[in-house]
Formats: sequence, structure tokens, C-alpha cells
Amino acid sequence: MTLHHYLILAALLFCVGLMGAFTRRNAIVVLFSVEIMLNAANLNFIAFWRYSENPALLHGPLFTLFAIAVAAAEVAVGLALMIAVYRHFKTVDLESMDTLREE
Amino acid sequence: MNEVVAFWILSVIAVFGALVAVRKRNLIHGVFALLVFFAGLSGLFLLLLAEFIAAVQVLVYIGAVGILLLFAIMLTERVTGDDDRRVTSRGWFWGLVVTAAVFVVLLLPAIQQLPPPKAAQTIDPSVKELGHKLMNPYVVTLEVLALLLTAALIGAVTAAQGVRMPKEEDSPE
Repeated sequence: MTLHHYLILAALLFCVGLMGAFTRRNAIVVLFSVEIMLNAANLNFIAFWRYSENPALLHGPLFTLFAIAVAAAEVAVGLALMIAVYRHFKTVDLESMDTLREE
Repeated sequence: MNEVVAFWILSVIAVFGALVAVRKRNLIHGVFALLVFFAGLSGLFLLLLAEFIAAVQVLVYIGAVGILLLFAIMLTERVTGDDDRRVTSRGWFWGLVVTAAVFVVLLLPAIQQLPPPKAAQTIDPSVKELGHKLMNPYVVTLEVLALLLTAALIGAVTAAQGVRMPKEEDSPE
């Protein structure tokens, strides 16, 4: 396995997440997609670390650890906001949340 | 040889899980596909000799985020998506176009034919060294992260609780 295999896989996963974020209407599915993209980025960090000059410095796992913690905070706050939005609009459909758009 | 086989199996699992999670109409099924994706990625981390990150991936993503997503779905609307409403957004075609463009741009550096760097065969100082690193040069980051997680906890509880109207307290019940 070369580094390129992992990078292409991460690019593919990132694009799957991007596709979900762009094409779905349900806000929770968009949140899934953001998680998929973050995980693809983590895969890149770990792959670059494994194929780096000096892996004993552990930069890759440390950065990934911090990224995972930030992503966990993001998903908790995101879902709480989703529940608040649902209470207000009675839906999590992104296309019906258009109050700010003055027709 | 074994590594190559494991890489392809885990890649197929991860990509398939991600695709199903993104395309599925039924949100609960989507979450389970997402968990499959997380598990496949955890296997890839093991393959890259990052065993602590693989364990964290299982604990945080499969354990915590999966359950959180399931609860959020059950607290909001239509779980099954059995009705006839569209699941895709109005601009889905342009979304696909932009996604394809981004994929091509991400793959552009591959045409440069750089010599692939060598993989480290063994990486001995793993979890213990990670702990030392977290304490010695990265302790400020760790503390900021702890603060962020506390703030996120409080923020999530406050946001999900909703705003209490003063009228509710006045109303006789």
C-alpha cells in the first residue's frame, strides 16, 4: 500500500460526504455528511503521519485526537440546535427554514 | 499481501457505508450504515498502526455519536421516510456537479507522479508516548479542548432545553 491509495480513498470519502451535504434536505443527514467529511480528513492526517519522515513525533495522532474531540463537541451542539429548530419549525427540512428570505 | 487485502476490504466497507448513509431514505438505517462506515475507518486506522486512534474512533464515534444521532432522529420527525416527499434538495444536480469538480481537483496532484514515500514499518512508542506528548508540549491545547468540551456541553443543554417563556410561569395550572 502506498500513500496514494489512502489519499485517494480519503478524497472519495470526502466527496461522498460533500454529496450528502449538497443533495439532501434533512438537516440530520447533512450533519452525518459533515461527520463523514471530518473522518476523511482524519484518515488523511493518519496516512501522512504513517508515511512521514519521523513518525515518532506523533503529530498525526495528536492532531487527529484533537480533531475528534472538536468533532464530538460539534455534533453535540449541532444536534441540540436541530432539536431547538424542530421545536420552533416542527420540521428539520432545510428547505422549509426560509424565514430570513423575504419574498 | 495481507495488508493489501485488508486495505481493499476495509475501503469497500467504508465507502459503501458512507454512500448508504448519505443516500438512505430511512434515517435509522442511515445511522446504522454510518456506524459501519466508522467501523471501517477504525480498521483503516489499525492498518496504519494508529491503534489508539482506532480505539478512540470506536469509543467516540460508534459509541457516543451514533447513539446521539439515534436519539436526535427519534426526538425529531419522520423516522422512516415512508411518505412521498422528496429527500433530495432542489439544487441536487448542481450539488453533484460541484462534488464531481471537487473530486477532480483533489485528484489533480496525482498526475504529478511523485515518488511515493516509504511507510514506517514499526512505530514503537505508541500510547505511552502519546500521553507524555499530551502532558508536555501540548498541555495548553489539552486544557483549551477541555474548556471547549465543557462549553459545548453547557451550550448543548441550553439549546436543547429551549427558551422558557415567562408566560408559562404566570399561567395558573
